[in-house]
Parts: sequence; C-alpha cells; structure tokens
Amino acid sequence: MFDNFDLMVAALGAGAWTTVWVTLTSFTIALVIGMVLVIMHVSPALPARWAANAYTQLFRNIPLLAVLFIMFFGLPKVGIVADSWVWALLGLGMYTGAFVGETLRSGINSIPLGQAEAARSIGLTFGQSLKGVILPQAVRAVIPPLGSLLIALVKNSALVLAIGVTELTAQSRRLIEDNESRFDLWGVVIGVTVSYLLIAFVLSYLVRLVERRTAFVR
Amino acid sequence: MSRQQESTVLFDALGPKGRRNSNIASIVSAVVILGVLAFVVSVLAAEGFFEQSRWVNPLDALVVQTTWIPSILDTLTAFALGSILALILGVIFGFGRISRFGLTRWASTVYVQFFRSLPLVLLIWISFTIDGYFGFTTGELGWSNDARRLTFLVLGLGIYNGAILAEILRAGVAALPPGQAMAGYAVGLRHGQVQRLIVLPQVLRNMLPAVLAQLVILLKDTSLGYVITYPELLHSANIIGRDYSNSFLQALVIAAFIYFVMAYALSKLVVVAERRLRKKTAAPAARVQQIEQAAFIAE
Repeated sequence: MFDNFDLMVAALGAGAWTTVWVTLTSFTIALVIGMVLVIMHVSPALPARWAANAYTQLFRNIPLLAVLFIMFFGLPKVGIVADSWVWALLGLGMYTGAFVGETLRSGINSIPLGQAEAARSIGLTFGQSLKGVILPQAVRAVIPPLGSLLIALVKNSALVLAIGVTELTAQSRRLIEDNESRFDLWGVVIGVTVSYLLIAFVLSYLVRLVERRTAFVR
Repeated sequence: MSRQQESTVLFDALGPKGRRNSNIASIVSAVVILGVLAFVVSVLAAEGFFEQSRWVNPLDALVVQTTWIPSILDTLTAFALGSILALILGVIFGFGRISRFGLTRWASTVYVQFFRSLPLVLLIWISFTIDGYFGFTTGELGWSNDARRLTFLVLGLGIYNGAILAEILRAGVAALPPGQAMAGYAVGLRHGQVQRLIVLPQVLRNMLPAVLAQLVILLKDTSLGYVITYPELLHSANIIGRDYSNSFLQALVIAAFIYFVMAYALSKLVVVAERRLRKKTAAPAARVQQIEQAAFIAE
C-alpha cells in the first residue's frame, strides 16, 4: 500500500525519538527554571520578585518561535554561537520555565492560609512546616497542570524544526518533500499523526498514573 | 514595608529581626540582578549590539512602510479571522460535548481530543501541503498563493484553538453548581430554556477571562504562519534581517517587542474582564480559577 514503508517507519521513528527526548530534556530544564522562579516569587526580597515577574511576563508575551529565532539566528551576530539542539533545548526550557513557575506559584497559593497558620501554631519551624504541611499539598496540586504543560511541550517541540532540529514534524516534512524516493503522502500524514497521538496518549497515561499514586483527600 | 507584615502561606508576619533580614536580602538580590543585567549589557555593547546604525537601518521609514506595517496588519488579520473561526468552532463543539445525544458527544470528543494532540505547526503546514499536492484551491478555484497562505493559517489557528475553546466551555459548564440547572427545571423551564436563560449567561461570564487568555496565545501562534511563508511579523523580521544582515538580531528583537506590546495589551484586557465579571456567577471562585488555569496551560 505505502511505498518504501520500512524506510518511512524508520525515519518517523527517529523523529519521534528526537521529539521525546527533546521534550523530556527541555521539561527538566523548565522544572529547574520554574523552581528558581517560584522561590524568587515567594521570597521576601522585592527585587527578586520583580525579576521573576519580568522574566515570566517576557516569555508569556513573546511567541516561542521568536525566542528560538533570536537565539539561533540572532545571538550568533553578537558572537554567541551554539549548536541548534542546544538552542532548541534552552529555548523550549526557558519558555516553558515561565509557565512552570506560574503553575508552581498557583500550587502554593492554592493552600489555605489556615494550614500554614496551624502548622506554625503547633510550633513547627519554617523548614518543618514546609516539608510536612505545605509542600506535600502543593506538589499534589500542581501535578495535573504540570502534566498538561508536558503534553503542551510535546506540541511546542515541533517548532524546533524551524532552527534545523529534525524532530517528528521535520522528519515528515523531509519525507514529503523528498521527491526521489517517492514516499506516499497519505502514508506519511497518517504516520506522523499516529505518532503524535501515541506520544500524547502515553504521556497523559503516565501523568494520570502519577496523579492517582499521589491522590489524597483534603 | 507594610505589605510584608501580613502573614502568608510561607512566612509569618515578620518581626524586627525578620524585617532586617529581608531588607538585607532585598539589597543583595538587587545587587545580584543588576550585576547580571550589567554583564549582559556589557557583552552586547562589546559586540556592537547598541550601535545606532544597526537600529536605524531596519527602522528606516521605507522599511517601516513597506514591511513592518503591512506585516503587523497581516498578523492582525490572521488573528482576527482565526479568533472568529475558533470561537465559532469552540461554541459548536463545546456544546456538542455536553449534548444530550450520544453521537454528537462522541463526535465532539473525537474532534477535541484529535486536534488538541497535534502540534499547530504540523496542522498548518500539512493542510497547506496536502492542498498544494492535489491542487484543490490552486486548480479549480484558482486562488493566489497569498490567499491560500492566509486561508490555511486561519484554518489551522481556528481548528486547533476551537478544540481548546470547546474544552474551556465544557469546563465552564462543569464548574457551575448543578443546583442552578435543577432550580430551573424545578420552576418548570424546558431543557432549552434552562440552557439559554440560566446556564449559558453564567458560563459565558465564567469563561470570558479564559477565552481571552487563549486568544493571547492565538495571537502569538500567528507567528507559525512562518512555515507556509505567510507574510506575518516574524517572517518579515527575518526578511529584513537578511536584507540588513548587520541588523538581524535587532530586527528580531523589534519584532519580539511588537509581539510583546500586542500580547501584553490583550492580556491586560483579560485582567479587566476578570475583575468585572467575577462577582456575577454562582460558580465558586476557586473553580473559575481552575478554568483559567486550564486555559493558560493549554498552549
């Protein structure tokens, strides 16, 4: 039915693998940035809060593609050069980090003030109340939205094709525009669609698993 | 310092010692942040980032007239048409998902789940390519390439964001306490009347901030028109950057700044809408916030 079926599967498989590892690596970077941001956000130091806010607003209001272009095409003009995959991971990570920071902050804000006051009134120290009362609740509250961010990152990772990283979308583009080996158009379309649906399905299944494991009654 | 004296989830109201420590932390963090900024600026300045000619050339009156302004207009055109399509599809499929008819529910769920799982850039590019391959619009309809680019960008933006708006609508209906609809049935309203008179007005108020937040994302996503060379802002910045290769970074930064201004203005509208509409609904504020969260996340 499809011409060059095995070649197509191999190419799309390689692309899907790139998509998955780019997603997971940049999500790790985003988690680190998000944590730093939330610490700055809740700290009593005003300038730290301002800086975190500026970072968040900046990345929330600029398209991811513009961020990637500035990094990959713009920064070499001021002598900052790196491989495209470095910018892909950094760009996705820094962009998603702003969203992770907001999510973590809303997780902490979702805890009723009474919880913290109760912890303090029975004499728990800052560290104890954080470890025993605040964080366990906050972490559980942010797992579902963090899961949505991860799924969104799978889709956003397709943008790195614009700076020359051959992930899933770029692979399918290459296959279709490759006139010599004549890949079947519909074969590639179905293949790439199924791959994305599979990745999204597996990841959301894993997120739900974590959610169920950590579920609790408040 | 008065704002630091109230207690928060993390910190109790600060005493004299705590206030002193927090002042020290403020000063230290200010120094660190200014230091980092100064370092970045000095690196950029050393490479001539702030040289006047590099900013003046891409902002030349001719370039502004022939490239920047048309590209902003093209971006706003795609945004306006994409938003309208997304809102229409969102309402249709959002109500489809809570319909009384199983088949409608099923079809709407498939639409939402399918298009939410695919990257927008793939949708735009692949629909454009399939059309070019079979020549639907180029052959029989004889469309120009410009019209095709706009059409497929708007289609992609509309279909993708329609799926997300449908989800927001469903969440809005779910956030409304069931007692609202029950009370309507209890006073003898029919299903349609309950939806029209009781559920919808409240749900629309709940949803508005989330919908506007999604429209900010749609505005940013118009930059994906780049993959099918639609002449939007980012694409034009690239072209200007290639024309004045000394100003490539500057052109991109200018484009990013314009995006920032447009998106920031739109998101301020979100805040205003939020404040005005929050009070007029039976849904608890926490649930409304969840809807916003869902929308905010749904990239």
